[in-house]
Amino acid sequence: MKKYSFLAIACVIMLALFSACKSGADHRALIITGQNNHNWKVTTPIFKVLLEQTGIFSVDVAVSPDKGGDMNKFTPKFSNYEVIVLNYSGDSWSEKTKSEFIEFVKNGGGVVVVHAADNSFPDWPAYSEMIGLGWGRTEKDGPFVYFKGDKMVIDTTAGPSGGHGERQEFTVRTRNTQHPITKGLPPRWMHGKDELYSKLRGPAKNMEILATAFAPPGKGGTGRDEPILIVTNYGKGRIFHTVLGHGDVDGGPAIQCAGFIVTLQRGTEWAATGQVTQKVPYDFPTAAGTSLRVNYQEMTLEDDLIKIGGYDITKSTKYFVDLQSRIRAEGTTPEKRQQFEHFMIELLENKAATDEGKKLILRELSWMGSDLSIPVITKLLQNPALKDDAKFALARLQPTK
Amino acid sequence: MNELNRRNFIKRSAAFAASVIVAPSLIPASALGKNGSVAPSDRINLVMIGSGNQGLNDMGEFLKDSRVQITGICDVNKMSGGYWSGNMGGREVGIKKVNDYYSELYQKNYTGCKGYEDFREVIARKDVDAVEVVLPDHWHSIPVLMAAKAGKNIYCQKPLALTIPEGIAMANAVKKYGVTFQTGSQQRSDENFRRVCELVRNGRIGKLLTVECGLPAGTPDYGKTGNLTNTMPVPAGFDYQTWLGPAPDAPYCPARTHVNFRWVLDYSGGQLTDWGGHHPDIAQWGMDTEHTGPVKIQNAKVEWAVHPIWNSAAHYYFECVYANGVKLIISDKLQSGVTFRGTEGWARGNRGSHTVFPESLRETVIKPSEIHLYKSDNHFRNFIDCVISKKETIAPVEIAHRSITMSHLGNIAMKLQQDLNWDPKKEQFIHNDLANSMLKRKMREPWASIYKQLLVS
Amino acid sequence: MTDKSTRRDFLKKSTAISAGAFLLPQIIPSTALGMGGKLPPSDRIIMGAIGVGSQGTGNMGTFLEHIKEVQFVAVCDVDSNHSKNAKGLVDAANKNSDCRTYSDYREFLEKEKLDAVCIALPDHWHGLIYSAAANKKLDIYGEKPLARTIYDGRAIVSAVKRNNIVWQTGSWQRSTPNFHRAVELVLNGRIGKVTRIEVGLPDGNKGVGTPPIKEVPANLDWEMWLGPAPKVPFRGVVHWQWRWILDYSGGQLTDWAGHHIDIAQWGIGMERSGPVEFSGEGVYPREGLFNVPVEYNINCKYANGIEMRVANSSQLPTKNGGATWYGEKGWINVDRGRLIASDPKILEEVIGENEIHPYKSINHVGNFLECVKSRGETVAPVEIAHRSISVGLLGEIAMTTGQKFQWDPVKEEIIGNPVASRLLVRPYREPWELPKI
Repeated sequence: MKKYSFLAIACVIMLALFSACKSGADHRALIITGQNNHNWKVTTPIFKVLLEQTGIFSVDVAVSPDKGGDMNKFTPKFSNYEVIVLNYSGDSWSEKTKSEFIEFVKNGGGVVVVHAADNSFPDWPAYSEMIGLGWGRTEKDGPFVYFKGDKMVIDTTAGPSGGHGERQEFTVRTRNTQHPITKGLPPRWMHGKDELYSKLRGPAKNMEILATAFAPPGKGGTGRDEPILIVTNYGKGRIFHTVLGHGDVDGGPAIQCAGFIVTLQRGTEWAATGQVTQKVPYDFPTAAGTSLRVNYQEMTLEDDLIKIGGYDITKSTKYFVDLQSRIRAEGTTPEKRQQFEHFMIELLENKAATDEGKKLILRELSWMGSDLSIPVITKLLQNPALKDDAKFALARLQPTK
Repeated sequence: MNELNRRNFIKRSAAFAASVIVAPSLIPASALGKNGSVAPSDRINLVMIGSGNQGLNDMGEFLKDSRVQITGICDVNKMSGGYWSGNMGGREVGIKKVNDYYSELYQKNYTGCKGYEDFREVIARKDVDAVEVVLPDHWHSIPVLMAAKAGKNIYCQKPLALTIPEGIAMANAVKKYGVTFQTGSQQRSDENFRRVCELVRNGRIGKLLTVECGLPAGTPDYGKTGNLTNTMPVPAGFDYQTWLGPAPDAPYCPARTHVNFRWVLDYSGGQLTDWGGHHPDIAQWGMDTEHTGPVKIQNAKVEWAVHPIWNSAAHYYFECVYANGVKLIISDKLQSGVTFRGTEGWARGNRGSHTVFPESLRETVIKPSEIHLYKSDNHFRNFIDCVISKKETIAPVEIAHRSITMSHLGNIAMKLQQDLNWDPKKEQFIHNDLANSMLKRKMREPWASIYKQLLVS
Repeated sequence: MTDKSTRRDFLKKSTAISAGAFLLPQIIPSTALGMGGKLPPSDRIIMGAIGVGSQGTGNMGTFLEHIKEVQFVAVCDVDSNHSKNAKGLVDAANKNSDCRTYSDYREFLEKEKLDAVCIALPDHWHGLIYSAAANKKLDIYGEKPLARTIYDGRAIVSAVKRNNIVWQTGSWQRSTPNFHRAVELVLNGRIGKVTRIEVGLPDGNKGVGTPPIKEVPANLDWEMWLGPAPKVPFRGVVHWQWRWILDYSGGQLTDWAGHHIDIAQWGIGMERSGPVEFSGEGVYPREGLFNVPVEYNINCKYANGIEMRVANSSQLPTKNGGATWYGEKGWINVDRGRLIASDPKILEEVIGENEIHPYKSINHVGNFLECVKSRGETVAPVEIAHRSISVGLLGEIAMTTGQKFQWDPVKEEIIGNPVASRLLVRPYREPWELPKI
C-alpha cells in the first residue's frame, strides 16, 4: 500500500505558520508514585510526558519504597516544586513527610490528585480536606456529594465511601464553563472507557465540582450524577482532583482520552499557578463521541492532512472534522484561509492521496477556497471519480460561469 | 584439501573477515569456486544432530550460507509424522532436503549428505567442523559436552539445558575447549530487540522499574498426537530407547515424542522454558544482568496441564527480583513480548516490531559515546562468522545458561508454591535444601556415567 | 364539469364567497352537492402524491379522511414498493383499482391532470419538484422544511407566487390549539415586550456507523433518489436515514426548524422576515457516514433587538424543547402537548376583540383544502415556510464557517461575507439544474 506523504516544504511552512510558541518549561512538577492499586509503572511515564507536552512543566518522578517498606526513607523535597501530582495510593507517609506536605500546600503549593490517589490516607484529615471527597471515608469525614439535575446534593447518610460500576464510556457534563480549568470545554463530552467513581464522600470544604457524569444503574452505577472534576482550596494551596484515569496494561482509553489528558494538563497548570494558559485543542471530545490519542499526542495539521490523504469511507472522519474545526477557529480572514488552502491544494495534487480524501477537501474548498484553487480543481474535472465533486466546488467558487 | 588445509582456510578467512565486505578481491581466488562462491571442499562442514521441525527449519538457514556445507543429518527417527502441524520429520526428510538443495545449486544430482543414527558417530568424525544440536531439551547437555571435547563448533537450540547444573556443565566445557558456541536464541539478532535493549541500557526510559515477559500459554497440540496417549508398539525406524536416553523410562505413545515432547516435564519445561530461552534472555540483555540472575523468586502461581501425558505449566506467573530492586515478571498473562518499564517511559520488543513510549524514543539517536550492543542481523551467519573469526557469538553459552535459569527457578517455585531466595553467584537456593534438590535431575544409565565423565570445571 | 378548466371555474366561483365559506358553509349552493351531501366525483379536488414513504402516506391518509372533498388518482415514488403500497391505500379509498403509479415525477406531472398534489420528499429534492409542480399550476401541500438551501427556498417561493397557486407547508403545529394560544398570548403582550427567545430542538444525529455498500434493490431507482445530490454508492441509506447526511438534510436542526422556529417567529411577528445577525457552533461526528451535527447552538438577533438562541434542548439551561419567549413580564414555553408560563394566570388571559387574532386553523389538511377552494392564504404559506427554514439554514452556515455574519432579510443576502454567501446554494449534479428564481 502506498503511504501518503507530504512534501517537506509544506511541513516547514506549516510549522512556521501554525506551531504555537511555547514559553518554556517554567514550572516544576513532581509526580509521586511507587505504590498504587493501579499499575503506576504504566501510568507514571505517561503522566510525565503529558505534563511535559504542555511545554510549561519540567517534571520529576519520586518513587516511594514498596508496600511495607521503610517510609521514613521517603522524603521528597516538596518545596522544590510548584505542584505535586499524586499517582499514589498506598502506605502512610512518615509524620515528617506529612507535615512538610501540609506546609507546602498551606503556603500556596498546588496538588493534583489522579484517580486512585483519592483512596489514599483515609486516616489523615488534612489530606481528606485537600481532596474534598474520596474513597474509604465515612460519615465522620463528611457527606456524600453528588448532583441531582442541576443541584448539588449534600447527603449525610451514614456509610463507607467509594465504588464504581462496570467500566464504560460515559458522558461528562461540564458544570462550570467559567472556571480556568474548564473554560471553553464543551458542555457535554464522551470520556473513554473508564471507571466511573461513585459514592465519594469527604469534608467537601472550599470545594467546587467542575464536572459530573451520570452513573447508570444498568451498569452498576448509583443513578446519580457523580463528581468527576473537583477543585478545592487548602490554605493558600489549590488542589485539582480528577477521578478519571484508570490506567490499563499500556494506558488504555481512560488515559488516552483527550478529555482526561487536557483536563489533567489544565488542572495541573491551575494548581501550580492559579490560571490556565493552554488552549483547548481541536480534538477535545464532544457529545459526538470519544477522542482517543493513540500516542498521547495531539494531532497536528500535518497529521490531519496525511490522514485525510489516506481517507476512505471505512476510516474515521475525525481528521477531517479536526481540519474543519481548525479552519473555523483560525481561518477568520482570507489570508488565514489561504494558508490552509495551500496545503489542501497540495493534497489535491498529490497522486498518492485517495479520491475519497480529495472529495472531502473539495467540499471544504467549495466554500473557503479562493482563486488559488481554481486551476487545480479544474484539472480534476478530467478525473472521472472526482468530476462531480470538482464541478460542485467550481460552481460555488465561480458562480458566474 | 585435507583437514589441516581446511582449518587454515578458516583462519585465513578470519584475517580477512573485516575487509571482506569492503574489498572482496582480497579473498584468494583459490578459495573461491568457479562462480565466485566458496568451493565445497573449503566450506565449514556441518552436521545437523536432530532433524525434527526445528532442525529442518535451521538447516534451511545454513543451506543458504555458501560458507557452509551440510554433510550429514543425524536423527534416531528415520521418518514419521508427529512433527509441526503433524507434518513429517526425521532423518530421511532432512537428508532429502539437503540433497535436493545442493542438486538444485550444483545443477547435478547430489547425494552427498550422510545419515547418522548415533550422534557419537558424528562427533567422532574428524571432517566435521560444526554441529547443530537441535534435540529435545533432555538431549542437549551430553551431545554438547561431547562435541565441545571433540573441538566441534556448536550451534545449540534453546532452551540451553534441561536443568541449571547441566547448563553450568555446558558452559564450563565450552569455555575449557574453546569452541565457538551459539545458542538458538535468535531474537538477539532481531534489530527490534536490540534497539529496545539499547534504549533501556542508555537510560532512555529513565530508571528501570519492571520488566515483563509475556509468553504463550497452554500445551498446543502441534504434533496432532495429543489424543494418542495409549501405549503402543514403537514404530519401525524409531530408536525410542535412545530418544528417551537419560530421561526416565516410559512406555511409548506418540503424544510423548517429537514436537509434543515440549509438554512433558521429563524432557522439557513447557512453554515456560521453550520461550524462556527467548524473552527472558532479552530481558537480561536489557537489564545488563546477562552474567548473573535474580536474588528472589516470588508470588508464583500456576495451572498445570490436565492431560494423561502432558504435565507442564499451562498458565504461569512469577516474579524475579534482582539485587537492584528491578522486578522481572514472567507469565502467560502479560502482553506478549518483552516490556521494559521505567520512570520515564517504556519499551517493548516483539518479533519484527517494537513499541516505545513516549513516541519520541523511536527517533532518539544512541550517540557514539553511549552503550552500543552487539549487533547481529542474522543469527546463523553470526555463528559462522564467529566460527571463522573465533570471536564471541551474539548468544554465547554462559549468557544462555543465565537466561534459562529464571524459567527453571520459576518451575521449581511453582512446584513448591513458595518464595525462594537465590544466590546467583553460587547458583544455589539459600537455606532451602528441598528446592536445591530439585535443581538437578537423575539421569538413566549408561548416560549418567557418560555425563559424569564429561564434566569439566 | 368534465374537464379541468370547468372544475377551476367552480373553484373560482367558490372564491367569491370565500370569506363566508368558513363561517357559513350552508351558503354553498346545494346544486354543487351530490347525493348525500358528497361532492360528485367530478367536483372533488383531483390529487396526486409525490413521495409516498412513511411521511407521504401518512399525509395522504389524512387527505383520504377528507374523501368527500378529494380524489387521489396517481402516486409517484422512486421506490416501487412505496408506490404499490400507496396505490393500495388509494384504491381502497376509491373502491377501484385505477390509481396510477409513476417513478419519475416529470412523467407524473406531464401525464396527470391534477388540481393539487401532496409532496413528501427528502429535502435535497424539494427545490426542483416543488418548483416543477408549481409551474404546472398545481396547488401544493408540501412537507417542511421548505428547502435544503436558501436559494432553493427562494426559487420555490417565486414559483408558487408566479403561478399563483395555493401552498400549505406541513408545519402542522400551526393548526393545533396550544401553539396557537401561545402565539396569541405573546403577540398580545401578555408576557410584556419580548426580549429573547429560546428554541429547543431534539438532540443529535441518529445515524450510526458506515453501512456497507449494497446492491441496489430492484424496487429502487437509486440514481433518481440521489437526483441533484452527489453520486455515491448505495449503502441502504434511503427513507428516513437520509436525515443524518448533509447532502440531503441538515439533521434535527433543519427538520425541526420548520416547526419550532416557525412558531417562535410567529409569536414575535417576524414570520415574513428574519434575524439580521447569526453566529453558531456545531459539534460534528468523528466517525461514520452520517455527518449532521450532534449538537448545535445558534445565536441570532432581530433588528428590533430580540435575541434568539436555537439549540438542541439539552444544551439549554432549561432543557425545554419547543419555543420559549422571555418577556419583560414573564415567559411562555410551548411544545407538543405542553403550554407553560412563568405564571399560570398568563395562560388564562382573555384576548379582546380588538387585539391581535392570529390566523386560526384547527385542521391543517382541512385548511389547505378550504384554501384550494377559496384561493385564500393558508395558515402555513410558502413565504413563511421559507423564512422559518432560513433561520435554520443560516445557522447551519454560521456553524460551517465558524463566522458571525449579518443578514439582510429584505434582500436575502449575507452582508459583506462572500465566503459564507457561497453556502446559500448547493450546486446540483448534472444533468439537474437549479430551479430558476
